[in-house]
Amino acid sequence: MDSLKCASCGKELCKGLWRENPIFFQVLGMCPTLAVTTKALFGFSMGMATTFVLISSSLVISCIRKLIPPQVRIATFTVIIATFVTCADYFLKANFYTISKELGPYVPLIVVNCIILGRQEAFVSKHGVAKSLLDALGMGIGFSAVLVLLGSIRELFGFGTIFYYKILGEGFENWVIMALPAGAFITLGFLVGLFNWINIRLRQRRNSA
Amino acid sequence: MINLTLIFIAAAITHNFVLTYFLGICPFIGVSKRIEQAVGMGLATTFVMTLAACVTWVIYHFILIRFGLPFLQYVSFIIVIASLVQIVEMFIRKTSPALYRALGIYLPLITTNCAILGLVLFMVLREYTFLEGVVFGVGAGCGFTLALVIMAGIREELECCDIPKPLQGAGITLIIAGILALSFMGFGGLISR
Amino acid sequence: MRKTIQMISVLTIVGLVSGAVLVFTYKYANPLILDNQKSEMEEAIFKIFPKADTYDKDIIEDNVVFRVKEKSGKLLGYAFLAQGNGYQGVIKMMAGIEPDLETLVGIEILESQETPGLGQEITEEEFKAQFKGLTTSPEITYVKNKSPERPNEIQAVTGATVSSSAVVSILNEKIKAIKEKLKEQ
Repeated sequence: MDSLKCASCGKELCKGLWRENPIFFQVLGMCPTLAVTTKALFGFSMGMATTFVLISSSLVISCIRKLIPPQVRIATFTVIIATFVTCADYFLKANFYTISKELGPYVPLIVVNCIILGRQEAFVSKHGVAKSLLDALGMGIGFSAVLVLLGSIRELFGFGTIFYYKILGEGFENWVIMALPAGAFITLGFLVGLFNWINIRLRQRRNSA
Repeated sequence: MINLTLIFIAAAITHNFVLTYFLGICPFIGVSKRIEQAVGMGLATTFVMTLAACVTWVIYHFILIRFGLPFLQYVSFIIVIASLVQIVEMFIRKTSPALYRALGIYLPLITTNCAILGLVLFMVLREYTFLEGVVFGVGAGCGFTLALVIMAGIREELECCDIPKPLQGAGITLIIAGILALSFMGFGGLISR
Repeated sequence: MRKTIQMISVLTIVGLVSGAVLVFTYKYANPLILDNQKSEMEEAIFKIFPKADTYDKDIIEDNVVFRVKEKSGKLLGYAFLAQGNGYQGVIKMMAGIEPDLETLVGIEILESQETPGLGQEITEEEFKAQFKGLTTSPEITYVKNKSPERPNEIQAVTGATVSSSAVVSILNEKIKAIKEKLKEQ
């Protein structure tokens, strides 16, 4: 029984990392994903802020979910999420001033990040505290991982660095397009394609085996 | 007047909300399969954006600033937007069933459209006056509609194309959006301050 | 009826709790944020005037001016905040000018949301260094794709003329205002 429980917990955690990855699979939360990933560090900070909001609102909502009348469900969720987002925003401004200046209005925009409200609707409102936390953690990590990946690729080609470490030599001419919106769209488009391609290959192998 | 025209053009074309600020990408990818759908969604969003700009401007300047409550910004903005969408929906359903049939299904989706909250945040950040805020709202809405309709047009054509399987759906949409963003950069010189 | 009461009470309680949480966060964070802003400004002043030791803040009708002094008490120059709209958003900067109000000592960009990789280059040393020792009368101007020839010219960042010209015109406007106000005194 215990091992079964563990296995299901692991499943809740891992599905956000790959199979149900919020960005690649569900195609949610696009606006922060594309906007703040000009450098890997900004992607990482945004990922952390979103994960914080996701985990804390899942915790609160899974605790009080039975008390909330269904008619005002969405309104309550939104208020709770907005509260945590404001906390995250002030925390960043107080302790990581330069980063918060770079992220600008995209921190408050976490309020309308569909991943967070989507998870509360689809998962947290139907499950208990422990499962909801694992789900939130998995989704948060999956989201952050994609942000860091996209940020690294764009920073590498756009500025020749990753996390400000010089990777490409002096002779490298920065591809300005990677830092521009167009570069964000195209890179993410190909990454989604790559994700689907790997999944298709995996499925074929499983079928043939 | 020149100032207002500039704000309008910047919000609608040179700094298109979807293609340079990445706001409203979810409906941009989700509701851009048919041109009629795209027009409906775009009009509904423009309408709500303009209203939201008016209401939040008043609330921000006459309540939040006056009583020194800047930390309630995000909570109050999102509540205003959500209730506005609800009220508009009820109002349209009562007064014009035809319009409701056309726009109704798109309205609930607008609450979580980051373009609206983004619009309000940018308006506050740039310290626009009331009139500038309204023009900014209309411009941003037009820009959103424009991007959505262009995308829908391209996607209708794409249906007859042979797209590599992994890129079908979101992948190819994002890549097209990238190319659109590139072409919109060509408008960049339209405003030189 | 019971349902309505439940709905209203849940929303009210959630609202009140959220308000309380936010008040505490604000009380904790606001002093830190103000500190950050102040130290950012100080850093910029000391970067523009490396010899500076103290400064006095002076507010002359909307214009914030810092009188920057050496250790001996000698006036090194004036530093001032200037801000205006760039290509994508507000550009906020600190600029320093010599006591005679005719020569720029340097500028530091405090805030800008220009396009990364293009307009954002205005925050790079290469661009900012051009303002060192620039004469402020006649007004500062910019040239494109060639080296500046006159003592009041800078070269615009390639591909980001709008951002560069925004910096120049924000500066010019503020210098004019500061000159007038300081001469009146």
